[in-house]
Amino acid sequence: MSRVLASSAPARAALNGASLNASITRIVRPAMVKASKITNQKRDHSACCGPHLRSYATHSDLPSSEQNLSFVLKKKGEVTFEDRPIPKLTSPYDVLVNVRWTGICGSDVHYWQHGAIADFVVRAPMVLGHESSGTVTEVGEKVTSVKVGDRVAMEPGIPCRRCPRCKEGKYNLCVDMRFAATPPIDGTLAKYYVLPEDFAYKLPENMSFEEGALMEPLSVGVHINKQAGTKQGQTVVVFGAGPVGLLCATVAKAYGANKIVVVDINEERLAFAKKYAATHTIVSKKQSAAETAAQIIKECDIVEGADVVMDATGAEPCIQAGIHVLRAGGTYVQGGMGKPDIMFPIGAAGAKELNIKGSFRYDAHDYETAIGLVTSGRVSVKELVTKKVKFTDAEEAFEDVAASRGIKILIEGVPDRRDSATA
Amino acid sequence: MSDQEQDKLKQNPSFVLRAIKDVAFEDRPVPKLRDDHDVRVHIAQTGICGSDVHYWQKGRIGDFILESPIVLGHESAGTVVEVGSAVKYVKVGDRVAVEPGVPCRPDTIFAATPPWDGTLSKYYIVAADYTYRLPDHVSMEQGALVEPVAVAVQITKVANIRAGQTVVVFGCGPIGALCQAVAKAYGATKVIGVDVVQSRLDFAKSFGADGVFMSSRAEAGVDAVEHSENVAALIAKKFNLGDGADVVLECSGAEPCIQAGVFVTKKGGTYVQAGMGKENVLFPITTACIRALNIKGSIRYTTGCYPAAVDLVASGKIDVNRLITNRFKFEQAEEAFELVKAGRSDVLKVIIEGVQ
Repeated sequence: MSRVLASSAPARAALNGASLNASITRIVRPAMVKASKITNQKRDHSACCGPHLRSYATHSDLPSSEQNLSFVLKKKGEVTFEDRPIPKLTSPYDVLVNVRWTGICGSDVHYWQHGAIADFVVRAPMVLGHESSGTVTEVGEKVTSVKVGDRVAMEPGIPCRRCPRCKEGKYNLCVDMRFAATPPIDGTLAKYYVLPEDFAYKLPENMSFEEGALMEPLSVGVHINKQAGTKQGQTVVVFGAGPVGLLCATVAKAYGANKIVVVDINEERLAFAKKYAATHTIVSKKQSAAETAAQIIKECDIVEGADVVMDATGAEPCIQAGIHVLRAGGTYVQGGMGKPDIMFPIGAAGAKELNIKGSFRYDAHDYETAIGLVTSGRVSVKELVTKKVKFTDAEEAFEDVAASRGIKILIEGVPDRRDSATA
Repeated sequence: MSDQEQDKLKQNPSFVLRAIKDVAFEDRPVPKLRDDHDVRVHIAQTGICGSDVHYWQKGRIGDFILESPIVLGHESAGTVVEVGSAVKYVKVGDRVAVEPGVPCRPDTIFAATPPWDGTLSKYYIVAADYTYRLPDHVSMEQGALVEPVAVAVQITKVANIRAGQTVVVFGCGPIGALCQAVAKAYGATKVIGVDVVQSRLDFAKSFGADGVFMSSRAEAGVDAVEHSENVAALIAKKFNLGDGADVVLECSGAEPCIQAGVFVTKKGGTYVQAGMGKENVLFPITTACIRALNIKGSIRYTTGCYPAAVDLVASGKIDVNRLITNRFKFEQAEEAFELVKAGRSDVLKVIIEGVQ
């Protein structure tokens, strides 16, 4: 059950600097209205390499009557804030987390803009978001691995634990997976979120909440590299310099790959990739896939072909070029999602005896690996955060991601005022 | 009250290990489903394993120590009599093999490993996804043998046995014999069984082995390791193994077999320790190093083993009926255990019928 946030007009005005009728559902607002709220911040963050902090007011301007303020996708194109009941623990092994930071993924934006991804259709209002970190505020009576006050990275997909895939450890392939912000399961853009203790990973002392929120996409990068079998000494080509492509590249680097080539159409993203993890970058051109492959091999001084290709674009020309740039016996991993059916160079795949795998989310030990990579300093994720916004400015963050502005935008959580340390 | 009337009052007769060497029959309450995913099985047949006997006689295996009474038994098949509300693929009346170990959901439970109760009761509660339907033509006795077949399946999985390989199996008891049969079913070209008891070798030759070898104990004054090396050389020579076997499955736990097993594995080959004997043995570590052996342990079974085992039995590829040498009624359970304990060479698998 949810009710539209109903508070006094003055409180609302304080919230977002515009006067609103409390009962009106907010719709996608034109960019112009947004700009009037923002004072002296540049809108285009695509070239920046460091956290771009807005100066935001303290949290005292949030109405204190709320229990569990949530950012809800009512239906395609329509988002709103709702106060929902604080979720209850579902088992003695659950924990309640006060969400501190949430990153946005292309899938969140896609549900907002299109209302569906493949067979997952938004049929009822759904809380968005799934890349989060937070503080444990309550633990079930049998919880032993975390305690109240612990800072955790949150793994947002809970599998059934009973099916053959779960029992193999490939729980990302569970037929009954309940994944945050994949309909009909609510996401983490709320004050509180409940999850089983074994899906809440304690953050080491030297990791911030912001880095904790990056563990979800980093786990995706870890999993893609795991599927690829990336190892020391290899030549790796990554198609796509968005957040996932960048994270694939940096994990490959941590795993000892000698040559990491990142390919994109966006030169600013490539410039960032070069500073971040790539040894070489290639600007994609309109040419045949074979020509692209030849260009990569020539310009990056690759003998025979790449050992590994990871696609983080889903774009047909990239997929084709990826197959052609591999050496015989190489490995191709499809991480990106674009057109469901494409023209695929099956002849080359067969004759070159390629290993071709899909990669979907993450499975056993990927989150621990991700945290281990960051806490040990082998991977750095801080520089991917290009903007941070307040919870009530969540929609702005969605618009930025939709327009490919910046790299990773984080939405701040709603603080739990019971814990003064989080204020 | 007549015996009949008294029997009717019994809800869930159980064969309980109360303390070391102290077993008794107890009537326990009919167990309840723990959650919506559980089923209750009326146990029909239960085979006895060396571990059951070991807990009875010694009260511990490694870190698992008998501290309070447990029901014994874990190799069972039965009929489902109750299903939880979330159970999708199992229904009342289904005849099933029961997988007795359920990991971390939330506790890791293994039937008849302290402190968990085993299956030698009228009823047993288990998660539905740990039961496997038996085709109609598979008997409950065969169903009870699925568990040791699953052990053999896991051993061959760990060993990565493939078509065309040569395999030497030390030990021709139930597990050794089943490993030989499973290796053959999975395409191994040459499977050799080794033991010190002729009748077991005779059985193995008729069951799954292509050839058998009668091993010998070292004579007094002879260096034990040297003797094991000689045994290995004799095996390799007799069966034309050349450099050695691709795979060795050690299913006896006996130190001389472990040594001979390492010595008879070819360079780059795989040695799997499945048998459990002395915890620490004199091990030819340098041979293992120089030959670049892959040495692995194997314990119980993992995901996929039970369905594979049911298939091996149901398809007739492995005739488990031939392993059953002795049958007892539930009330004779202690006698059954005594028989297994006696370790007679003409006894292979002993099974106990369930409470009717």
